[in-house]
Formats: sequence, structure tokens, C-alpha cells
Amino acid sequence: MIEFRLDPASGVPTYLQLVQQVEHALRLGYLKPGDQLPKVRDVVANLAINPNTVLKAYKDLETKGLAVGRPGQGTFIQAALSQVALPELAELRKSLLGWLTTADAAGLDEDGIVALVTRALRDFYERCPGQGGRGGAASGETEVVA
Amino acid sequence: MTAQTMPTRPAGPGRLRPVPWRRMAWVNWRQHRVALAGVAAFLGGFAVYLWLSGLQMHHAEAAYCHPAASISCAVNFTGPYSESAIIVSIVLQAVPALIGAFIGAPVLARELETGTFRYTWTQGIGRLRWALAKLVLLAVAVTAVAGAFTVLFAWYNQPWAAAGYVSPFSARTFDLLGMVFAAWTLAAFAIGVLAGMLIRRAVPAIATTLAAYAALAFATGLWLRERYISPLVTSSASPPASSWAISGWYTKGGRFAFGDHGSGIANTVRQICGGPCHGTHQDPAQLLAQRGYTHWTSYQPASRFWTFQWIEAGWLLALSVLLIAVAIWLVRRRAA
Amino acid sequence: MNTNIIEASGLGKRYGSTWALRECTLAIPAGHVAALVGPNGAGKTTLLNLAVGLAEPSAGRVSVLGGQPAGSPAALDGIAFVAQDTPLYRNVSVADMLHLTRNLNRHFDQHYAQTRLSELGIPLKRKSGKLSGGQQAQLALTLALARRPRLLILDEPVAMLDPIARHDFMASVLTAVADDGVSVLLSSHVLAELERVADYLVLLSAGQVQIAGEVEDLLAGHRLLTGPTAQADRYTAGPVVYTRRGDAQTHLLVRVAADDPVPPGWEAHPVGMEELALAYLREPGAGALPGPSLSGVAR
Repeated sequence: MIEFRLDPASGVPTYLQLVQQVEHALRLGYLKPGDQLPKVRDVVANLAINPNTVLKAYKDLETKGLAVGRPGQGTFIQAALSQVALPELAELRKSLLGWLTTADAAGLDEDGIVALVTRALRDFYERCPGQGGRGGAASGETEVVA
Repeated sequence: MTAQTMPTRPAGPGRLRPVPWRRMAWVNWRQHRVALAGVAAFLGGFAVYLWLSGLQMHHAEAAYCHPAASISCAVNFTGPYSESAIIVSIVLQAVPALIGAFIGAPVLARELETGTFRYTWTQGIGRLRWALAKLVLLAVAVTAVAGAFTVLFAWYNQPWAAAGYVSPFSARTFDLLGMVFAAWTLAAFAIGVLAGMLIRRAVPAIATTLAAYAALAFATGLWLRERYISPLVTSSASPPASSWAISGWYTKGGRFAFGDHGSGIANTVRQICGGPCHGTHQDPAQLLAQRGYTHWTSYQPASRFWTFQWIEAGWLLALSVLLIAVAIWLVRRRAA
Repeated sequence: MNTNIIEASGLGKRYGSTWALRECTLAIPAGHVAALVGPNGAGKTTLLNLAVGLAEPSAGRVSVLGGQPAGSPAALDGIAFVAQDTPLYRNVSVADMLHLTRNLNRHFDQHYAQTRLSELGIPLKRKSGKLSGGQQAQLALTLALARRPRLLILDEPVAMLDPIARHDFMASVLTAVADDGVSVLLSSHVLAELERVADYLVLLSAGQVQIAGEVEDLLAGHRLLTGPTAQADRYTAGPVVYTRRGDAQTHLLVRVAADDPVPPGWEAHPVGMEELALAYLREPGAGALPGPSLSGVAR
């Protein structure tokens, strides 16, 4: 079972913070298929947030195929996060490092690089509506920064 | 988005069974128990005193006052007990005012003053039912207590009546006997309730209640009461025993001459003597009678005691109902 | 359930010659935590008093719980109201406050109330006036929730509370929402904390409703555009709520349809509830979204 926390200063919508924390926990192995997510009532009682927000986050996880709701029992993790295969991940990382070297050589500092990537990410996802619009863009933003 | 369990209770639009009246009895008791207990302690103590001293008076009167005009009666009964009897009647006459001020005035004023009306008036019982139950129950309670005191006082007063010291229309007895005492208590309560509703603050409402009650009591005793029924008129030397003399005047030749208060008598006597009547020890009444003046007295006979009780209790009851109804109407329409 | 928990049409309230609320038309569907937001004196308390029947409208009408007249027996029965500063009988013990409330209502869940108070560590024997501010608020809330209302109305419930008490209070309210599905209408002038709490927003300003709607729809219907000042005056794609103009760069908070394209040269950002509310409150002239759908009022 994981404990949710909220960062009021992040600007990320509350439901999305919940979704991201579940995904993060899945990636780091804190959550495995079959694990139960906190009951809506408990999340509400701990964080003082609107129950509809929790329901929305859990529904989002269900839509993504990560979780499944069992009536009368709660919401359970169904699948691991669909990770890109490890060799490809290494390859992507290598090419990104190469790009970063180029950017550095062009005189961009760290903040400049982050701004550029953020901008490019937003443009990319806005052109491809299939990736989830506003929420997707914000989601991408945090992951890059993190 | 709204995939929630919905309310456990149906939205029945039909007529709801209201909150039972009897539950308000507990609410009243809980909310006013300090005031009620205070009043009960005070009146209870007073009642015990009345009972004990009443017993002594009964014994003294029975032992020494046959005949009533005897010296032994004066020494053993009227002398020793008259002072305490007067104090008792004064304290009792203050009781309605105290009940009006300390039970009536705060009932609504306290709710408005502290803002608790926003709690009370939004409960399921509804403010109309709440106000009705609260005011009617308290009104009945204070009236019943006053009624009980009337019975006690009537017993306490018996020795004085037996010894012939009681005139039924004296303030000391008319106000405290029969139905009038309870009616005045109810009226004082109603005055307090309405003052509290209008003024919305307890302390000024208490002061206003005392002032309004005093004004009404004096106006009644000094002006209104004697006008309930036209008084009888007699030309005999004095009105019948135990009756209530209202006023007196002189006539001559069937025409009004002057009142028996003020300078009328003195001026006329001076005129008759042709100047100050030196050395005459004649009774002016006799002198005036010799010269054709007739003395008249208007009075209310003792037999009208109960009629007057009914009249006074009746209009006080009507006034109380009216005041409480206005207070309830104000509760209903008062905008927060 | 599609009933409207509160409906107002042309609702107005005048005190003397001043309108505390005017021309208020509103329909809040059941199942929401609705926030009534506005500066002090905007008419929040007036609207709530009208809804619970403590005040009578000077104009228009208001109904609750799907068409019940405000203040009627059925309305009083189904609505629990916690007034500002949570007025309680200070000299009455907690246990007797429970008993009192039970005697003043048709329904009262004594077991629930006692359990809740013991969970909160509020002693039953203490006089309610001797409780801390947070405990008084929790007691008032317990009394309200134990009536099992369909609508809970809270007037500035957390204004006087410290941060921990605020959090605990709102957690209690929202837990009741999760448990019973009670609808909530609460007023506040503290915007920051409402963002996570409310899913329906009513903005009041100077006695009039500026916007009202589901938070999600409102946020989707607005965006913040950032672009060169030179182009700011030429933005005509939709209504502009609020403009913050710099020498070079200008921010426009605009109303849009969700799939409107971003005009060339502008950068679009989603807006948060606080930002949106502040923008409207700074521009009292802006407002009047398409009116809400009234069902029960036009009888």
C-alpha cells in the first residue's frame, strides 16, 4: 500500500499527482500487480481532497490499464508499467546525452535546456492529440524535470 | 465523475411527520434549567417561609383574636406580624416582574445575541414549531407557579381576613389573590419575550421589561382598574365596609359644587364664615351639611371582587396571547 | 441523480436600500462539493441564509433539494447548516448538545455522533464553550452530519481555524462526502485550499454571480495566453477575462472552447482554479457564462 502526498506548489492538477505517484511507485517496484491502492475514503481522509478527484485518478489508471476496480473491494494494480525494453532504453539515453553535449557546446545552461525541452515536448504532444492533451503535456513536463 | 453512493435517505417530497412536541420539553428544560432552577430555589425558599410564618399566624389568630378587636389580638397577632405580612406582599408583587425579566426577556434575546438562532432555527423542527413549543411551555409553567403561589398566599392571608384587616380591593390583596396574580405573571413573561425579540440583547431587554411592567402595573392600579365597571354612588356618610372608595364631591341644589380634595372645602367654609372661622370647633362636614351641601362618594362594592378579577385576568390573558403571538410572528419573519 | 441541490432564479436580497445579492440565477447539481467564493461583503452569507431559510428573498426565488422551497419543513429536514463561527450553546455540555440536536430533529444518528467525537478526542462532558476553536467546529460539523443531511451548507467553516484544524475539518467534510454522498455547499474567501476540495465553483462579486460551473469545465474553458504585447490588442478569438500587460510580453486569460487552436505567436498554459477565480474577481465586469439549466424553478 502506498501513501499519497500532495505538492500544492507544483501546479500539477491533484488527480494527476496521484496518477504520477502510482506510476512512479510501479517503476520503482514499490507497487506490484495485485497490490491494492488506498481506499478512496482513506485518501480523502488523509489529504482532505475531493473524493471525485481520487475517483478520477483511479479511473485514469484503469483507462491506462494499470489498475482495475473490484466492486466492494477497492482498486488493485493490474499490470506493471509498460517499460520500453532495456537495450532500447540504453540506446535512447546515449543519443540524448549526445544531444545534450551539442546543446552545451551551443552555450545553453541547464535551465535553458530544460525550457527548450519543455517547449518541444508541449509542441510535440499538442500535435499528437492521441497522447492526452493538457494532462499529457503536464505529465511529460514533470518526468523530464525529475 | 459522480459515481458515488448516493444518499441513504430517499428524497420523499410528501408531507413529513414533524418532530414531536414532547421533545421540546427536554430542550426547554436543558436550556433554561439554570434560570428555572434559580427561580424555583428562590420561590421554594419563599414558599417555605410563607408556610412557616403562616402557621404561626394561624395559631396566634385562633388563640387571641376572638374577638378581633381585643387588646390581646393587637399584642399577639396584628402587632407582631403586620410588618412581615407587608414585606411578604411587597416581595410577592415583585415576583411577576422578576419572572418577566429573568425568564421571559432572555428566551429569545439570548438566541439572537449569541447567534445561536442560526443553529436552532435551521434544525429540522423548524423555527415556528420551536418558538411555539418553547414559549407556550414556559408560559404555562410560570403561570402555574404563580397560581400555586396564589393558593399559598390565600391561606397565609386567612388570619388577616378573619381578623377583618383585609379589604378586597387593596393592592395588597387584589393583586395577590384570585386569578390576577397568575395573569400578571403571564403578562410579565409575555412582555419580556417580546422585548427580547425586539431588542435582541438580553440586558437591555431585561431593563425594558421591568420598566414596561412597572408602567403597566401602575397605570392599571391607579387609573384603569377603577373604571372596569361604573362605580356606585352614595350620599351616606361613608361607603359600605370593605368597599373601594374612588372619589367624593359635594353638590348643592342638585348641581356639582366642588370635589372633596383640594381647596374647595376650605374656600367654601371660609366664605360661609365670612373670613377665617376663629374659635369655631365645628366639623366642616356638619357646617356644609347645614348650608345645603350634600357629600357624595363613588365606590366599588366588595361584591364586585370576582367580577373585577375576571375582567383583569381576562384582558391580561388577551394581552399576553397577543404579545406572544407577535413575538412568534417576528420569529417567523425575521430576516437573518 | 440529476436533481439540483440548489436553484435560484432572479434571487435578490435587499437590506434597507442596499442589495446584498441581486439577480442571482444558479443551479447546483447534487453530488458536488460546491465552493461559493468571493470577497468579504460579496453576498456569500446572504445567499446561504436564503438557502437555509434564515432570510426571505426580496426578489426572485430559491429552492433546494430538487424543488423544495427554502425553509420549508422538507428543506429544513434535509439540510444541515453550520453557520459562521459555529454558534453553539456555550454553557451546554457536548453530550447535551448531541441530545439537544437529537430532540430538534426527526433523524439523528447518536451512535455516529458519539463515535466521531470519541475518534476526535472531544470529551462529552466538557462545556462546548470550553472546547478549542477546532473542536467547536468539529462538534458543529458532527451535529450537522449526524442528522444525515442530503445537503451540508457551511458558511466560512475554516476561517477561524489554524492550519491543522482546517485540514482536519475539511478531511471530515470530504470523508462524509465519500461515505454518504452528501452534497456540500461552502463559502470561503480563502481560495488556495478550495482547489483540492471543490469540484463546483460559484464566484460572487458585489452581490452578483460572475461564473458558476463544474471546476473541470471552467478550467477547460479558459487558458492563459502569453505573447508579445504588440499583438495583444489584436486578439479577437474569444472573450478576454483579464489582461496583464508588460512592455514586451502580455498575459491574457481568455475564455475558449476546449479544442480552439492556439493563435500563432502565442503560448498557451492551462489555468488553475485560484488563478481563474482571482482573474474574475479582479474584473467584476467580466462574467456571465451561459446560464445554468434550471429545471424546478419555472413552475
